[in-house]
Amino acid sequence: MPKIDAPEKLFFSLLGKEMTDQELIDIFPVAKAELDGHDVENKVIKIELNDTNRPDLWSPAGVARALFTYESGEIPYYDFFSTKDESKDNEGRVIIDDESAIGIRDFSIGFACRGVEVDDDMLKNLIQSQEKLCFNFGRKRKTIAMGIYRSDLINYPVHYAAVDPDKTKFVPLGMDEELSLREICQKHPKGKEYGYIVSSYDKFPYLYDDKGETLSFPPVINSARIGAVEVGDSEFFIEVSGPILNDLLLAVNILACDLSDMGFEILPVKVFLNQDTPYGREITVPYYFQEPQRAALKTIRKTLGLDLTKDECIAALAKMGVYAVADDEYVYIECPEYRNDFLHEVDVAEDVMIGHGLGEFTPVMPSDFTVGRLSPVEEFSRKVKDIMTGLGFQEMMYNYLGSKREYIDNMHISPDRAVFIANPMSENYEVIRPSILPCLLESESVSGHAVYPHLIFECGKVTIKDENDNSGTHTGNSVGFFASNVSMGYNDAASYIQTLMYFLRKEYSLAAVEDDPRFIPGRAAYVMYKGEKVGIFGETHPQVLESWGCTMPSIMAELDMDILLK
Amino acid sequence: MDIDVKNLHPLEVKLLRHVSKGEEITGDRIVKELDYKVGQCNQAFSWLSAKECLAETGRTKRVIYELTDLGKDQEKNGMPVERIFTFIKDNGPATMPEIAEALKLEKSDVGSAFGLLSKNGVTKLNEERKAALAKDELPNDVKLQSALLKKAVEKGFLEESELSEEEKSAISQMAKKRGASSSPFKFIEREDVTYALTDKGEEVKKAVLEANITGEEFGVLTPEMLATGAWKNGSFRPYGINAPTSRLIPGRHNAYGDYLQWVKDKLTSLGFEEFDGPLVENEFWNGDALFMPQFHSARDIHDVYYVKDPVHCKEIEEPWLSNVARTHENGGDTGSRGWGYKFDHEFTRRQVLRSQGTVLSAHQLTKAKVPGKYFGVVRCFRYDQVDATHGADFYQTEGIVLGEDVNLRNLLGLLKMFAEEIAGADEVKYVPGYFPFTEPSIEVHIKHPVLGWFELGGAGIFRPEVTKSLGVDVPVLAWGLGIDRMALMHLGLNDLRELFTPNIESVRTRRGN
Repeated sequence: MPKIDAPEKLFFSLLGKEMTDQELIDIFPVAKAELDGHDVENKVIKIELNDTNRPDLWSPAGVARALFTYESGEIPYYDFFSTKDESKDNEGRVIIDDESAIGIRDFSIGFACRGVEVDDDMLKNLIQSQEKLCFNFGRKRKTIAMGIYRSDLINYPVHYAAVDPDKTKFVPLGMDEELSLREICQKHPKGKEYGYIVSSYDKFPYLYDDKGETLSFPPVINSARIGAVEVGDSEFFIEVSGPILNDLLLAVNILACDLSDMGFEILPVKVFLNQDTPYGREITVPYYFQEPQRAALKTIRKTLGLDLTKDECIAALAKMGVYAVADDEYVYIECPEYRNDFLHEVDVAEDVMIGHGLGEFTPVMPSDFTVGRLSPVEEFSRKVKDIMTGLGFQEMMYNYLGSKREYIDNMHISPDRAVFIANPMSENYEVIRPSILPCLLESESVSGHAVYPHLIFECGKVTIKDENDNSGTHTGNSVGFFASNVSMGYNDAASYIQTLMYFLRKEYSLAAVEDDPRFIPGRAAYVMYKGEKVGIFGETHPQVLESWGCTMPSIMAELDMDILLK
Repeated sequence: MDIDVKNLHPLEVKLLRHVSKGEEITGDRIVKELDYKVGQCNQAFSWLSAKECLAETGRTKRVIYELTDLGKDQEKNGMPVERIFTFIKDNGPATMPEIAEALKLEKSDVGSAFGLLSKNGVTKLNEERKAALAKDELPNDVKLQSALLKKAVEKGFLEESELSEEEKSAISQMAKKRGASSSPFKFIEREDVTYALTDKGEEVKKAVLEANITGEEFGVLTPEMLATGAWKNGSFRPYGINAPTSRLIPGRHNAYGDYLQWVKDKLTSLGFEEFDGPLVENEFWNGDALFMPQFHSARDIHDVYYVKDPVHCKEIEEPWLSNVARTHENGGDTGSRGWGYKFDHEFTRRQVLRSQGTVLSAHQLTKAKVPGKYFGVVRCFRYDQVDATHGADFYQTEGIVLGEDVNLRNLLGLLKMFAEEIAGADEVKYVPGYFPFTEPSIEVHIKHPVLGWFELGGAGIFRPEVTKSLGVDVPVLAWGLGIDRMALMHLGLNDLRELFTPNIESVRTRRGN
């Protein structure tokens, strides 16, 4: 979930009024936002945004716009958008995307703006928007990377191409020496972080102006001259690059609306694309690309459970910044320029819900009759638990992830059948337990102070490899028990098994265990049920006790509940 | 009087009844007169002193010599010195080994006894190097010692204060202090305490007499008493009902497990059927089927645990795979425009540890009845640093409701019922939420009597992209509840890790509210 910092002054000026924390807490849900904190000393409001499909909300301007629109019901109007039918005057500002970039990082588009001298808060805010858009929405710059430049230093047209990474050199931001693109990937901190996105290609993306001055090496780093923006600057060129045109258009639209809300004049830029697109080969950016959407009134009413009139729907949508008209059957919406999250008519229904006010929907119980039922394993586990507790055993519950040392090494078994994690966070949690027994032994090893005898058990899941299964693994339901005391031996274990199986009404026989390093040879047995091995029990081998640091003789047993259930 | 005479022990009762104010009360006297064992007498003294019925008036030290088992044996069969003397006298000169063999004595004992006799001129080695008599009389010391043994037999001990100087010197050779090897006498220092009955003691005694408590009341009821009917001939001593209890360790359910069981019972009582499934899932069910785009940030390597081997499952079930792939790409026939990217058929087979309970809801959709209500309390795994609020694995409680006409207001109704029935909430508040697989999405916040306002769970109506791809044409309400927070409160804990503690003592003593 993205979290943003909103400087009080900037945020309240965008909102058009000041609000208390409690007022913010009350209104924030309409933007699926939460007040994450208020740094009174530095005058910063911290906001967490929950909707990962609404990147327009990941900036103070975006949140302020949503709140203002909700309260006023006025849909914001932006006059700088070009459409398929009408292109705004680009006043000679042009980007030319060269065909060499196709397949590497296809597109670069952008716009310019001017009119406000940025202060520290605004600059930080711009950088924050850049980060949130590129990191969360742009998949860590893979699909969106963004550069902000001083437009007064640029000679249009700007050129975007894929170039020889060894022959192309410039001074990157944050350094004083000229490096080739390949060297930047190796030496510059940003190169080390993001260079991998393009470094497998023969040519790297490169942005430069008509005089050959470098703007940037997308998606890695700006140049130290045109790409160095400072407090006091008031004319900017903003460019985004990536492989998915719609994502770039949306990112540009969001930034343009944010900047416009902050008082900037937005200056369109014409882009000559390097391939055919649904919008043609030339577009003027910012560009309204969203398709109109319709939602059946019937769907809205059925989904929300309320017979809303079409006017109620239109009014609700207006509060969400969505312009709509309706006939008797459908609501037709125009998606706001800065949004692109209407995938389905249910998305319209949700906006109607929020706009209308969730408090207006009174709860009603579903009326269908259904039969409640526990799973067969749960029912069986309960039987087993009752018998085991009747035998004096304490039920335990354990984590299912553990270390190889605990689950494998200490048990003196082979790791072959255990299911390991490919990307463990720590070696303490690197394998799913293949058996309940190591968990029970862990208890014993940390419970030397607890009054003996120790009688413990657990009913739970275990996972082992199983090549017959589609997943190559098998998750089973097991019951494991463990008992330790000064004198605790095979006969005790056999008696517990006998009693458990008697009350479960399971006929069983025993078979000798030939070679299991967990048990003392000759003092362990397999439990056979309907010709199948259903479990094992016996005296714990001293080598296992020693590995766990246990000092009391013990017995242990484990049975497969799935087989017993059959 | 703060003493309930019914709670007095028989030993106390009999002692009180036996003594009077102004008398000197000593251990010796009570042992003799009431036939107490020394230990019983000391217990009675200690209890009555604590109750301030007896007061100490003086204490004197004395030494006694207690006859040991060895001493009793020597009194009966003679000391080694006497036996050697008698043997030589009866059988003539003999070698040491012969004597030892004949008398079944240790050679060293024979040697030291012979040494003693020779020193006193009673025996000597003859020319054949055999022990022979030189005098027909035992040394005085030996005779004295023999007499002391006889004298001690009657009482089992001798008082040092009653011995002559000669006897004292003789007995000191026969009694070793603690730790030494066996000797005929044991040297014991004893402190004799003298008590007197206090005013309070007098009062208690009076109360005992008035209550007609004799100290002869029955203690434990035995099978014999029942068999013979002896219980009819007396009364039972009342017990102190507030005596400290001994610890019992019962076999018990796990307290957290009990709570989860209670939640499951609640849900089944509300008409929900339980589902369950394996811990190893694949990207398809863990994310794709829930319409989470394959590039979604929550599907990153740093959010989900991947299975090392096998990396991929063999196949994804059809027609679900084709339906879901189409839906991601262009919406398929779900009425959606989809995510507009190329669905990765290899990625979808990659295996992960189940990271959200909703996975099982998705599985359930393929086999669900309409109308239907289903739930699961299922273990999930997240790539998180383990701390007080994050476990390596944890339970999620999730469920779905299928019905021709279920809608948002039903969802709110359901959540309200959960809030009241499961969380015991006073007030419920709903706010819009966001989940990739539901639209609309809701968060439910409740005001708990103890915890105050907090988020109870998330819910929504499954997106048609999810349900239609899995063959369901009716709306499906989906919900998840944050049960662990309430479980912690129920158990009086504040660390999630405690729910799965391996510590036996801690689990044994844990209890719910």
